[in-house]
Amino acid sequence: MELDELTLAGAKRGDMRACEKIYRMYHKKAFTVAIRICNNRELAQDVTQEAFINAFKRIRQYRGDSPFWGWLRRVVVNHTISALRKLPRFDAVELEDYMCPGNGDQDSLGQCMDLEQALTQLSSEDRMVVWLHDVEGYKHREIGELVGKTESYSKTRLNRARARLRELISAGETHIQQTDAPNPLLNATS
Amino acid sequence: MNTPDQSKHGKSDPLGLSKLGDIEPGYDGWDQIESALLTPGSKQSARTRNVAWLAMAASLVLVISVVLLNIDRPGPGAETSPELATSFEAPTSVEVKDNVNALIGLSQSMEEQVAKLRQETGSMPAESAIYVAELEDLIAQVDYELSQTPGSIDLWGQRVNLMLDLAQIYQQQWEIDYGRIASL
Repeated sequence: MELDELTLAGAKRGDMRACEKIYRMYHKKAFTVAIRICNNRELAQDVTQEAFINAFKRIRQYRGDSPFWGWLRRVVVNHTISALRKLPRFDAVELEDYMCPGNGDQDSLGQCMDLEQALTQLSSEDRMVVWLHDVEGYKHREIGELVGKTESYSKTRLNRARARLRELISAGETHIQQTDAPNPLLNATS
Repeated sequence: MNTPDQSKHGKSDPLGLSKLGDIEPGYDGWDQIESALLTPGSKQSARTRNVAWLAMAASLVLVISVVLLNIDRPGPGAETSPELATSFEAPTSVEVKDNVNALIGLSQSMEEQVAKLRQETGSMPAESAIYVAELEDLIAQVDYELSQTPGSIDLWGQRVNLMLDLAQIYQQQWEIDYGRIASL
């Protein structure tokens, strides 16, 4: 889903149809990045809107030497981090919003939901670091620069976030196993 | 659409987070984006208006200060020409009161502007935060003195100047934040 030259040229000229095409192409991905980092639907909507407005206003600055999504994603990430800094607390994302890709079988869906739920329970900074590093491919140096901290801060946060995620996932699995286990009282009576 | 970094997910994504799918936005914001792009009343324009407003406020303070200086001191020719010296009139209480009222109005508007800027600005470096704290201390001190002498034109002038300094810090910080985004 790379942007074609014609649409890009149109957007650079200020053609609204080209801009709309870009919006339709990347809206979902941009929103996903924003909500993964901020964990708040309303804030993610605002941030995505602002990021698109800002990106379209500055689209002439995009030189085309890297994928367009990489450039747009940076704008979204910057806007999201900037918005997060202004907020004292954020609400959790609702699990019902989640869409699991793949074959849709129950095991796969369950694993994804565990991971999804665990992710929402991380602190905002841990979630941001683990998502930017593991999914978006950011380097520790880049994450450090984004949040105004050092590279080793990002590394420490990532290790902590992964450990916490594992802990949360295994806690979830244990809980499920316990609830799925046959009831000893029922067995005794039967 | 993948970036080069994403090709190494096998190694850098041990938990398989990249398997999680995209989240449905559940809204269509294109109309708002289009109107924001087509109309000049966007956030950036509001910020530009803020800068213009600050510049105007600073000019007004300067004008009031110059007027006050001229009232306090007769011009250089006044000593050599007695007839002109006699024509110099001391400021009336009405003029002083008008200037005080203008400064009070300006101070109130500055309060609102600073509150807006504070909301829009992200976190700032420690040095700037210390400077902000110092300025706020000075403003509190001036406020205390104003509670003793509410009609002091000097104190109101000082207050407005301190508020302008405070607004400038927030403004500069916002420009740094915004510049970082714009440079991408």
